Parts: sequence; C-alpha cells; structure tokens
Amino acid sequence: MKQYFDDAVSILEARLRDNYTARGKYNLELTRLGQRLYSASHRVALCGVCAPFDLLNAMGINSCFVEFLGGFLAAAGSAGPFLEEAEQIGFSAESCGFHRTAIGAAAKGMLPVPDVVIATSSPCTGGVAAVEHLAHTFGCPLYVLAIPPDDSEKNVHYLADQLRSMVDFVAAHTGVTLDEDRLRDAMHKTNEAREAAIEVYDLAQRVPSPVKGIDLRAFGLVMPLFFGTETAVEILHAYRDEFAARLEQGIGGVPGERFRLMWLQELIQFKHPLIKMLERDYQAAIVIEELNNIYWDPIDVDDPYVGLARRAIAFPFNGSVDRRLKQIQKLVQAYKIDGAINPCHWGCRQGTGARGLIGQALKELDIPVINLEVDCADSRNFSEGQLRTRLEAFMEVLGSRPGRRSTN
Amino acid sequence: MMREKTSYIGFTCAYTPLALIDAASYTPYRILPMGDAPDQAGQILHDNLCPHVKRVLDRALYNDLPELAGVVLLNSCDAMRRLADAWSKVRPHDRVILIDLPLTSDDSAVSYFRRELSQLTDTLFHWSGRPASQEALAAGIERYNHVALLFEALRERLRDGGVSKGAARLQSLYNMAVTRPLDETYLMLTGAMEDLSAPAVGNGGVPIFLFGNVLPDPEAFGLFESCGVRIVDEDLCTGSRVFAPIEMEGAEEILSQLARGILRRPRCARTLLPMQPSAIAEEVLTRATACKARGVIACSAKFCDPYNARIPGVREVLRKAGLPMLHIEGDCTMRSFGQQRTRIEAFTEMLRR
Repeated sequence: MKQYFDDAVSILEARLRDNYTARGKYNLELTRLGQRLYSASHRVALCGVCAPFDLLNAMGINSCFVEFLGGFLAAAGSAGPFLEEAEQIGFSAESCGFHRTAIGAAAKGMLPVPDVVIATSSPCTGGVAAVEHLAHTFGCPLYVLAIPPDDSEKNVHYLADQLRSMVDFVAAHTGVTLDEDRLRDAMHKTNEAREAAIEVYDLAQRVPSPVKGIDLRAFGLVMPLFFGTETAVEILHAYRDEFAARLEQGIGGVPGERFRLMWLQELIQFKHPLIKMLERDYQAAIVIEELNNIYWDPIDVDDPYVGLARRAIAFPFNGSVDRRLKQIQKLVQAYKIDGAINPCHWGCRQGTGARGLIGQALKELDIPVINLEVDCADSRNFSEGQLRTRLEAFMEVLGSRPGRRSTN
Repeated sequence: MMREKTSYIGFTCAYTPLALIDAASYTPYRILPMGDAPDQAGQILHDNLCPHVKRVLDRALYNDLPELAGVVLLNSCDAMRRLADAWSKVRPHDRVILIDLPLTSDDSAVSYFRRELSQLTDTLFHWSGRPASQEALAAGIERYNHVALLFEALRERLRDGGVSKGAARLQSLYNMAVTRPLDETYLMLTGAMEDLSAPAVGNGGVPIFLFGNVLPDPEAFGLFESCGVRIVDEDLCTGSRVFAPIEMEGAEEILSQLARGILRRPRCARTLLPMQPSAIAEEVLTRATACKARGVIACSAKFCDPYNARIPGVREVLRKAGLPMLHIEGDCTMRSFGQQRTRIEAFTEMLRR
C-alpha cells in the first residue's frame, strides 16, 4: 500500500503542476495522508468520525476515521475482496459497507497499523463496534470518547475533560506530547479553515452554482482530517478562488443549470454514472451534500477543549434527529433546493433510521425526496438500471412541478 | 402494600433503572416486541432497522399499549435513539424522556450517568406529584434486588436440573415481572419457588448457554426444548440482565450507587471495556463454562450492530475453547424463529455425538 500511495502522489503532483485545480489539490493531499498513514515512520491513530483531528494533528499523529479508509478503498474500486473477507469472518452483509471494508482490509493486512485507536460514540454504534474490533485485531490501546447528545454546559465540560484525557492517553501510548504553542497554532489554523469553508459554501449557494459533479464530494466529512494544519487552509482557499473565478466568468458548475439538488448523508463512493446522468440529461447540479456546512462556532484558542467539545456535540448526526432536520431545512432554503436524494446507505441505522422523518421534514418545505436504498461502499448489489429509472422518474416529477425556483 | 390504581411507565431497554420508576410510585411496563400490531414502523424508520425497535414502534402506532403515564427511553444504540425521535413524532402527546447511556462504566461515565438519573428522578417525581426522597429510592432498589434474588434462585434451579416447564416458564415469569406491579411479581415468583421443593424435572436435553439481546417469547424457549436443548443459563436483555441486583456499598450517595450498579452489571454488547476490547467473547466463554454448557446459542435481532458485530469474535474465542456456537438471527417473531428448527436440531445432534 505504501508503494501505491508513493506512486499516486508522484502522479498527482505532476498532474497538478500541469493543471492546478482545487479538486486536484484536495486529492493530492488525501493521497499524501494515505502515504503517511501507511508509512511505518509515522504515528497513526484510527478513529471514529467525530474525533478531534486538529488536536491529533497538533500532536503530529496521523489520523483518520475508519469510514474514510473504507470509502477510499471503495472509491479506488478495491473494496470487493475486503467486503468478502469481512463476511467470511462472520460480519453481516447487512452491516455498513464502510465498516466491513475496513474490517476486511485489516484482516488481510491492508490497513495502516495504528498506535492507538479512538472510538467516538457519535455518529453510530456500528462505528463503535468496528473501531473496537480494530483495537482488538491490532492489539492496540483503545480510548472511547462519549459524545453527549446535547450541549448543556455540564455535557460540554464532560466531553472537554475527556478530550484532555485523550491527549494524555495518546501521549502515554506514543511518547508524543502536546506542545501548547502547537496547539494554539493548530486552533488558529482550524479557525482560518472554518472562515475559508464558509466562503466556499457561500459561493456554492449562488445561482447558478459553481459546484459541479464531485467537486465537493464528502468534503464536509473528510476535510476535518486536515483541520489544524496549513493544508486545510490551502485546500479551502483553492476552492474559494476557483469558485469565485467560475462565477466571475459566468461559468456554472453544470452548464444550463435547471435543477438544484441536495444529497443527503454520504455520496456513493464507487464509480457509477448517475451523477453524470443527472448533469448531462437533466442539467441537475448537486449543489450541496448534507455535511458540507459549518455548523460550529470558532474555537477559542485560549480554551480549545471546550470549543472542540461543542463542535463534536454540534455534529448534525449527533443527538436528536431534530438537530439534523433543522439543518437540512436550513440548507434547503439557503441553496434554493428543488429536490433531495437520500441514498439510504444500507446498513446505516442512525442515518437511514431517520428516513421517514427526513421525508416528513422536507415535505413541510414542499421538497420532493427520493430514497435510493444502496450501500454507498459496496458495489456488488448496485442496481444501476433500476436506480437510473427511479432517478429519471424523480427528475420528471421535479420538471413537472409548477413554480420551480431554479432557473438559469 | 397494594396500590389503588396501577400507573405505568413504558420502557424498552434492560438498562432502564426500574427501581427509580418504582420509587416514584409507578409500575415499569416493558413494551415487549410482541403482539399483533401491523408492520408500519419501517415506513417511518427504515425496514433495515432493528426489529425490536420496529415492533415497539408498531405497538405504539397501533395503540397496543396500556395507558401510560410516560415513557422512559435510553440512548443505548442508534435504533433506540431513532425510536425516541419517532415516538415523539407519532405520539406527540405522550410524555417521553430520553436518558443518555454512557458507552463505558468508568468513574467519569458513572458520574455522567448519575446526572442523567438525577434528571430522570426529577422528571418522574414531578410527573407523580410526590416528593423525591433518598428513602424512596433505597426502598425501590431493595424491592428490585429482592426480585433479582428470587430470579437468581430460579436460574440456579434451572442450572441444576430444571424448573418445571423449563426456560419457557422462566421467560414467562420475566415477561410478567416487567409488565405487572411488583407486588404481583412477588406472588408469582413465590409460587414458582414452591416448585423448588419438587424433584428436578430436567428434560435430558443438551446443556446450552444462551446469550444475545431480545428473545421474549416463551414459545421460542419451548422450541429449543423440543429440539433437544436444555437452556442452563442465559444472558439476554429480555431475561436475566433486567434483574441483575444492584450492589449497594457504604454511604455513597444513592444515585451514584444506582448509576454504578446499572453500568457495571452484566452488560449489553454496546457497552465497552476500553482496557479489554472485545471482552464480551471472554465473558460468554466464562459464563458458558461456569454453567457446564456443551454449546452456546447466540440469539440476536437482525440488524443489531452492537451484537452482530461482536458475534464473529465470540465464535472465534469459543472455537479455540472447543465450544461450538450456533448463531440465530431473528425478527422478534416466532415466524422467523420457527424456521430455525432444523438448524437447532442439527446443532443439538452434533453436540450429542
């Protein structure tokens, strides 16, 4: 795997020299992260989604959430053998494909070997189980971050205390201590990235939107891996400048934009033609993925643990579904959405378990939603024809609705 | 003391502090995933969600419930979290309180859970209009510990040679104990205890340790026995786990003791021991060995991530110890469970050889 990432970094660096794009920069940095994760010379933490990656970056610990690795392998078209391996071991094919891919990869020796493992109670119990399994598989120490469901002061301080203990835990097991100046610098970088992300998302809201295809694929979920570093700021500035330039030149992400769509939860990670079909045949742009949003306040650099705790609690998939529904409704209005696509990631209890309630919340805004029923990491049961037909019907419904807001 | 009118509080999870509900003068009523309510919950939640939770929501939608003064739900897993969300939408006039359940049982988690219990105490006593008191809480814990001891005696009998009508009868008693006033439970358990003086009635079946989550239907236990299985011990959230005693130590504040006692009693797979990842596998082995089981049956609800993700590890540890395991996934109905008969018979046959 190390060789794979070394080669990929060389290719992407060369490509970026010839044609600098924000997505190219983002892909390069993701690949460099993979390179570091698989390098025996770096300290590694495998985590749950809501781990404070800026804190770990400040310690020089290379880290990612387990689902990121599953998604990466799925996007590379390599998940199949790992999914089968996990199922051979006994993991249910009804469980989350991201987790199964990571578990299968670990069993086949294809996952980075972590120094520590950090589980987060949010967003899902399936993720906790997967992370615990990896801790057992690798025989490495496990830390559990219990993220409370609401941000009462006591809850915030409960989590802030856990974050402090987590730093001690990581230090004890890696020998790497947290330098206060590096922490302060990392928090400044996080705040800078936050400001830049707000600019990017503001630009994405314009009509027509500068966003096309997979420009911001899984962006809100994955970008936190770079928080606390200059890399995050560079990536976000690249997007900001690119979107601003497109808008200045009057170039929409999808030429002749007719429909503005929201994608709920996560995108389908493996290659498929549906998004291109939506863009080409219906001039439909996916202008917003649900998690591409800044839902948290700046971190107080003088008291970072409290701010980091508030951010983790504010994660839209944490706590009551109402938090998520309110955010979805807010984004629908901000992005002037015509319709929503919910992949209903098969195996995700916390996400798809809210399917009916999401539909109801969107109905209140008169926004149609289509539920696809796919495993976003497992292509083996992907029914392209069936999904294409359903999406076509959905687009016809959108097209026949009177008084559509989006026009170009 | 018999109460004039039973006032029920609904609950769904084995971690629910029943003693606290009792202390507030309510009868805990477990909304078991049973009955004939039509399948509708999948439309609100998702079909690919825990059948336990879906059946509970089906009962709520179909109004297949006694009059409830309120509902106490625990944030124990994704499915339970979504149940709380959905319940508030489909029955907006019900009083529902959701208690967060820590993932671990260390001191920090105990302290956090104590706060959650304190909030629950305030709410329940507010609902009941009675003043909260340490004495009432202590009495509630004592009453439930007494019931726990009675059940332990029955389980011991089951291990030694069988309770009359076996594990199916024990499960019926569990079901009654979580749905009836405690006074009635005492009477039922006392009656069952009288059987202890009768000779053992073991069915000669293969001794099996049963673990998992939700298996409330006594008919399922009858099916086991008809397949040549003798359940000698179990660890189920609809069985012994509900009635594990709360250990009370010294003069520590009572809610702290209750919080610690609940978090540290036999645990659901969703609760972790960070110092010992995947510890559940060793725990199952220990329990199975202690009751001299010749095999283990794991029963889990389909789509239950906490259990289904730990089953492979349990199987591996048992395999190394030479204890065969059969895993049955179900949807909380006998319809799906009955289809497992052939597998259970084959498993029993294999163990007899």
